[in-house]
Amino acid sequence: MGIEVKNLVKTFGKKVILDDISFKVDDGKILSIVGFSGSGKSTVLKLISGLLEKDSGEINTTGGDIAMVFQYSALFDSLNVFDNISFALQERKDLRGKYTRKELEKIVAEKLELVGLSGIEDKFPSELSGGMQKRVSFARAIVTEPKIILYDEPTAGLDPISSTLIEDYIVRLKNETNAASIVVTHQMSTIRRTADSVLMLYNGHAVFEGSPDELCREETPYTRQFVEAAIDGPMKMN
Amino acid sequence: MKVYYKATYTYKILRGLGLTAESLISRLGIIVMYGIEFFKGLKNKPTTAKELMYQCYRFGVTSLPITISIVGMTSIIVAMQVAGEMVKQGAGNYVGMLVAILMVREEAAIMAGFALISMIGSSMASELATMKVTEQIDAIQVLKVNPVHYLLTPRILAGTMMMPVVVIISSLIGIAGGAVASNLVSGLTFKAYFDSVWFGLNLHDLKVCIMKSFSFGFVITLISCSFGMQAKDGAKGVGYATTKAVVWSFVAIVIVDLIFAAACFY
Repeated sequence: MGIEVKNLVKTFGKKVILDDISFKVDDGKILSIVGFSGSGKSTVLKLISGLLEKDSGEINTTGGDIAMVFQYSALFDSLNVFDNISFALQERKDLRGKYTRKELEKIVAEKLELVGLSGIEDKFPSELSGGMQKRVSFARAIVTEPKIILYDEPTAGLDPISSTLIEDYIVRLKNETNAASIVVTHQMSTIRRTADSVLMLYNGHAVFEGSPDELCREETPYTRQFVEAAIDGPMKMN
Repeated sequence: MKVYYKATYTYKILRGLGLTAESLISRLGIIVMYGIEFFKGLKNKPTTAKELMYQCYRFGVTSLPITISIVGMTSIIVAMQVAGEMVKQGAGNYVGMLVAILMVREEAAIMAGFALISMIGSSMASELATMKVTEQIDAIQVLKVNPVHYLLTPRILAGTMMMPVVVIISSLIGIAGGAVASNLVSGLTFKAYFDSVWFGLNLHDLKVCIMKSFSFGFVITLISCSFGMQAKDGAKGVGYATTKAVVWSFVAIVIVDLIFAAACFY
């Protein structure tokens, strides 16, 4: 099933952030959510991951863990890479004590290899570049074999080459884990390289839903303005 | 028109008071919730011995030089102020008692409390606030680890356990400092001073001192961590949370001190 969201509503005080949003992401597929800053993209991820409570609507997900990759990695800066990646296995109530040190080392090494960063277990986040931190946060996210992976602006603040690398890893993780994924992004390159479908939000409403090709071809004022990065158009920056 | 302005002004004052009271109650509620969650978490063995030891070291050992200096110097100042005069008045035999009672009942705990709020409480608040605004605490939550159990429990436990240790060591240093100062200022012998200490202090004082220290340690770490966990709005939010944590902790330990003084000595 992946992720199924129906009539989702979220408000902060009197401000409506999400108004009647519905979408579906199947296992092994990637949905890209796009829109201006403040359009409610990250709120969708926080609602699915349980960091925020919805006001109304339904969020149905495949059983199993939900992983989230944060915009600025959110690695624990007091822990080294090994402890960051194995954090859930060491600290989660239902997993604590289940793995021996050797087993943890093997799992961490596997995950690091998957993101192309073997042998950096002893390094601290401050010793890594932005792109490497992001990849370590990917490894941390998939350590419990999640069925859903949420990415909050995974290429924000990265140079174009690192961004491309990250986009490739998003696709690779989807293929390896068959997880249903949502990628919140502003970047057309990320949409083109990773997404199976796209949802565009504006002022809490879904103004486009379709494939990346359709997004580029669609002649509605919203999609044109976004694709062409035009200042003039129906979407106004707050 | 005159009535209109008066009404507006009164409304503003009342509204301001109402909002302050609302914020105060809401903040107290949050602190109480974290306290309840801390006690709930104790049942689940939420923290590793390594983390607990680190927090104990941080709270109890790294702070010791400063707390000892502050408490020691306070007792020296007190002894310098009173010893000469008391010896002149023929009350030299009570100098040790005065300093010891002051230290054990009051000064060591409150001065150590202030020092620990400034050093460790503020550091805990800013550390957790930084983790909050950089989404590290959200990451802990998404990884299905209870952030209160993982972050607050070892800190509050360490603060509660180590505060009495810090206060007792500081008290001893304070009493010894008073002896040296009394001897230098008024020529009071060490024997006369310490005889007076043994005469003046009793077990009740020590028990209250230890109980008060446990409470101070708990209150300081609980408040500091609570404010840190609630931080928002980036760097500004970290500063705001840290300042609030320090101010609230100062006020809280004075209130706790007042309660102990009223309940145990009157």
